[in-house]
Amino acid sequence: MANGPVYRMMVFMSKRMIACDEASFLISLREDRKLDFRRWWQLKMHLLTCHLCRKYARQVGELEHSMEVYRDGCTHESCTHHLSHEAGSRIDKELSRELNAK
Amino acid sequence: MSDTNEHKLDPQKWVERYGDYLFSYAIGRVNDSGKAEDLVQETFLAALKARDRFRGASTERTWLTSILKRKIIDTYRKKYTSRESSFGEHDGTVFDGDFYRDEEPFKGHWLEGMGPNSHSFLPEGELELEELMKFINLCIENLPAPLAAAFIMRMIDEEDSDTICKELGITPSNLWVMLHRARLRMRECLEKKWLS
Repeated sequence: MANGPVYRMMVFMSKRMIACDEASFLISLREDRKLDFRRWWQLKMHLLTCHLCRKYARQVGELEHSMEVYRDGCTHESCTHHLSHEAGSRIDKELSRELNAK
Repeated sequence: MSDTNEHKLDPQKWVERYGDYLFSYAIGRVNDSGKAEDLVQETFLAALKARDRFRGASTERTWLTSILKRKIIDTYRKKYTSRESSFGEHDGTVFDGDFYRDEEPFKGHWLEGMGPNSHSFLPEGELELEELMKFINLCIENLPAPLAAAFIMRMIDEEDSDTICKELGITPSNLWVMLHRARLRMRECLEKKWLS
């Protein structure tokens, strides 16, 4: 097996094609900047043949979406956190001490 | 002159008016209520010291938020530099031994169980905002500190890459790798959270 045709073919292909590690890096990278043509093509070819990375690409999209929801969520009342009463009065006290020191 | 500025600022009302807002802002980013309280207090005290510099060009709240934001970035930076980080000074490769196989001819393939299991990590049907927030917070907490810093600045504060690189003292290629590693972990963590 170690020297069989399948092995040799995989070694041959691995020199020309990118593996999942690189593909997943490019999937992340394209969220932050535009890929150059070579990388775009390599990723395209990889995704054609790799169902795991297709799933990964979709989930990274979901992550972006979730973070968008997360950001917007924090402007709604539902996720407002309240400063505890003790913390509030402690900070108030600190503030007035500073104010009076002036 | 500073009198007019002080008229616009009203420190006695700060806690009442902006306490909850700033606290929520901080807790969404540092994920620790004690630390968030400290940050709010530091923000108010710093604002008090700098109140002569308040020009009234922005609202009181925007001004206070910008001070808080600086404080938060400082805590990231402290975390980031206090760690002998194998992530910031990554080993020259973008690839992460925790996630990919290392033996030929499968080098670079997903390690069993470290790749995605399904097309979607989100549950079917309506997305529960509260649950989503909770899971995201937990997963960010599980990130190594430098990755969390980069991820939060990029994904929550929506800073551009130049700013993040400058704040964290890293190169763009460093940043892309860190964001990649953060996404690898976030995706994996979120998928596990929803399955369990």
